[in-house]
Amino acid sequence: MSSSVPAAVSPTRQALRRVRRDRSARLGAWLVIGLIVIAALAPLLVRLAGQDAYTYNIGLLDPARGNAPSGTAGGVSGDHWFGVEPLTGRDLFSIVVLGLRTSLFIAAVCTVVTTVVGTLVGISAAYFGGWYDAIVSRLLDFLFGFPQLVFMIALGIIVPAGFPRWLLLILVISVFGWAGLARLIRNQARSLVTREFVEAARSVGSSGWHVITRELLPNLLGPVLVVATMAVPGYIGLEAALSFLGVGVPPPTPSLGRSISDSIVWVYTGTDPWFLFFPGAMLFLAVLGFTLLGDGIRDAFDVRLRRAT
Amino acid sequence: MADRPVLEVHDLHVTFRTEGGLVPAVAGIDFAVAPGKTLAIVGESGSGKSVSSAAVMGLLPSNADVKGEVLLDGRELVGLPNDELRKIRGNDIALVFQDALSALNPYYSVGWQVAEAYRLHHDVSKKEALERAVRMLDLVGIPAAKARAKDYPHEFSGGMRQRVVIAMALVNDPKVLIADEPTTALDVTVQAQIMRLLEDVQTEFGTALVLISHDLGVVAEVADDVLVMYAGRAAEHGSVKDLFYRAAHPYSLGLLGAMPRVDVPPRHRLTTIPGSPPSPGSVKTGCPFQPRCAYTERVGERCITERPELTPRPGEGNHEAACHLGRRPEVAP
Amino acid sequence: MPDLVWFLIRRLFATVLVLLALSLAVYLIFYALPADPARLGCGKPCTPDRLEQARHFMQLDQSTIQQYLAFLRGIVVGRTYGEGGAAVHCDAPCFGYSFPLARPVTTLILDRLPITASIALGAAVIWLIVGVSLGVGAALKRGKLFDKLAVGLALIGVASPSFLVGLLAILVFGFWLNMVPVNGYVPFTESPVDWAWHLIMPWLVLAALSSASYIRLTRAQMLEEMNLDHVTTARAKGAGERRVVLVHGLRGVLVPIVTIFGLDLGSLLGGAILTEKVFSMQGLGELLISGVSQVDVAVVVGVTLFSAFLVIIANLVVDLLHGVLDPRVTHG
Repeated sequence: MSSSVPAAVSPTRQALRRVRRDRSARLGAWLVIGLIVIAALAPLLVRLAGQDAYTYNIGLLDPARGNAPSGTAGGVSGDHWFGVEPLTGRDLFSIVVLGLRTSLFIAAVCTVVTTVVGTLVGISAAYFGGWYDAIVSRLLDFLFGFPQLVFMIALGIIVPAGFPRWLLLILVISVFGWAGLARLIRNQARSLVTREFVEAARSVGSSGWHVITRELLPNLLGPVLVVATMAVPGYIGLEAALSFLGVGVPPPTPSLGRSISDSIVWVYTGTDPWFLFFPGAMLFLAVLGFTLLGDGIRDAFDVRLRRAT
Repeated sequence: MADRPVLEVHDLHVTFRTEGGLVPAVAGIDFAVAPGKTLAIVGESGSGKSVSSAAVMGLLPSNADVKGEVLLDGRELVGLPNDELRKIRGNDIALVFQDALSALNPYYSVGWQVAEAYRLHHDVSKKEALERAVRMLDLVGIPAAKARAKDYPHEFSGGMRQRVVIAMALVNDPKVLIADEPTTALDVTVQAQIMRLLEDVQTEFGTALVLISHDLGVVAEVADDVLVMYAGRAAEHGSVKDLFYRAAHPYSLGLLGAMPRVDVPPRHRLTTIPGSPPSPGSVKTGCPFQPRCAYTERVGERCITERPELTPRPGEGNHEAACHLGRRPEVAP
Repeated sequence: MPDLVWFLIRRLFATVLVLLALSLAVYLIFYALPADPARLGCGKPCTPDRLEQARHFMQLDQSTIQQYLAFLRGIVVGRTYGEGGAAVHCDAPCFGYSFPLARPVTTLILDRLPITASIALGAAVIWLIVGVSLGVGAALKRGKLFDKLAVGLALIGVASPSFLVGLLAILVFGFWLNMVPVNGYVPFTESPVDWAWHLIMPWLVLAALSSASYIRLTRAQMLEEMNLDHVTTARAKGAGERRVVLVHGLRGVLVPIVTIFGLDLGSLLGGAILTEKVFSMQGLGELLISGVSQVDVAVVVGVTLFSAFLVIIANLVVDLLHGVLDPRVTHG
């Protein structure tokens, strides 16, 4: 199939063309673009709505129903597009879009960090091989089998109160996150290293750095891109999960996961399910969008993502 | 052909429905093979020989359309419901694959796999089936068959694995054995052993053998009849002598020229056929071999405008070739 | 067989080494923390004298390495904090003592384990069954309605964080439809039926996400497997389609599924913790989270090590299973 395409079109171009033709990938791409725009403009949107995420509006709550929002759908109104938070009356729209901003920011930074680290470790392990590769592989095995969430929660205890929590989240997620990417890149690079063009480059005396950056890296761009995209929804979910468990960004910084966690009691009593709906839907859309896009890119690049060796 | 053929194929067409439209793979071939006889189907890869054998077995994927007749003992197989075909597969017609390593299931012992083939068509206990399997493994020359039946495919050498596949194919005493390049993946010495084994079992059981091969050396040794396929059609067919001494199609001659021979002085260089075979669907009019044929100029326009039909040629009986060249071409054009 | 015995001995030895390294690392990390557990345990007013006493009682006045060795010793022979009448004894295997909860960590973990294990194992069984069967079905009906439904369902499952699904499920089935209990845990020994009935929602919720990824995994593997030559061989032997799929196709898919399952065991524990929180169940996760908020280092270290221990042991089992499933794997 690929042989019928003129040689002038690079594989990356071809892959992107395939992404554009894939209906669900297109949907994912639009979702992702939309969410990124919302997250980027969140402070502006909040100001546009004439609200902020911190002001208490006790007047909008119904004390008879345990301070759930008065009015329909969690107090949705022209002022409060998504209604207000129960118990505090803070504007839920502001909380949701700013929470999305937090989520995407943390996920984006984690993706960049883990992609860079994972690629470097993966390629170098494949290139140098030997004991270095053996140690890296063992370490990856270890990180893979490790109960990461347990450790992430536990780490919360040793970090001083003054340490910024968002940075802790990024560190914790990244420390475990690079392993998957490193293993995949290592396996892909491993099959490249034995190929002729790499051996040719080595035999004419190219330095390791040259082989890695000029020969291996360009050939691995596809897989790297695929894994990076596919990692994003995982990080969004993980950040939300940690916030949900109470070890994410501290209040009053808005966070989707914490809002969802706060909504538990309102769901249990059935007094304000809308408090779950808005942050939950936003989180769902974010994960769905990146998953669809990631799947599309994976199919387009035809990368085998078998975790098993 | 003295005996009545056990397997007859008439005007077999196979077309694949793909995203890019209909792709014909076999465009009307006929062949027949009698009990105890061997028919060799030769041709380059992509000529439709493997597709033909899969069509006979009803093993083509669901996007393949099969037309024509496949008669087993006079019974039509094309269009038979899958459940009926299932009873024939492995029982009346069995297949020997090219690559025994991938043809065998890595997760089951070879004894189990041979026994399974038996149990699928016989109502016997597992123990009886296994005993039968061990006998077959022994018959095909696997030493210490009883002990080795417990081993897994990866624990055997290539030749031994191919013997296992043959044992599996023969366990139900089939009427027809289709061997698709059975020796290609093997060392030369092992190739000879496997071919001898196939001949032996054929004489012993009276099995009709359809041998798919591109190795004319093997064909010359074991075949009774030969069908030369080119681009999904029959280029020539006849007895093995017809083909080796009286080849009438330039393509057959080309194949013969590409075969190393002991009866030709070594200073003769092996000739090759220039170019590569077209896909069966791409030739709309004229002779599919024309672009590669050295005799086109001799015949002229007809090769481009008119498709040659199979016409009788001199020989032992059923010798036919699809070529506009009336008489036999000289060996060195 | 002796190969297998040697393999087991080697693996167990390696496992012990890994656990030792891990526990040392965990110990060094968690005991280097700035918060002082003794300060929380010394009562008010916390005079320097009393603080020193508390520290001595909790054996926090020793060096970290000494503490670690005491911890290891405690696992083997047990441990006693303080002297005389006020002494607190922690029986072997002692994984530390929680002063805020006034209980040995081992007891705390063993008390909570049944809940977490019930959630995790039940969910794993469900997701393996659902994920593999839907994945196989989707692969066989590729491109048909069933495939599209299964793939769509899998996508939604993958895109929905389990706690979100859990809360929605509580809302719909527990609150609106009032069909199933949404919290509480009944021990299996008390009433197996109530046990399962109370766990059904947590199971389904935790299984939903993983089922989704197993549907995707199984479908992809199955499509690959069904294209292999040995599957054609099975057809050529005269096996019916059902047999071809179940005996020949699925057999090869089991190996990668078991491998991935081994890798997922760590996250299974994490998933169980999230599920506990959603359904307000008092399992290991709750123990850990409250341990973090109360600066109960002994509990945090204990639960972390115990989780790692579980995962390492489970991985060993998966490796052994791998050898059983794939005859090409040798344990030599």
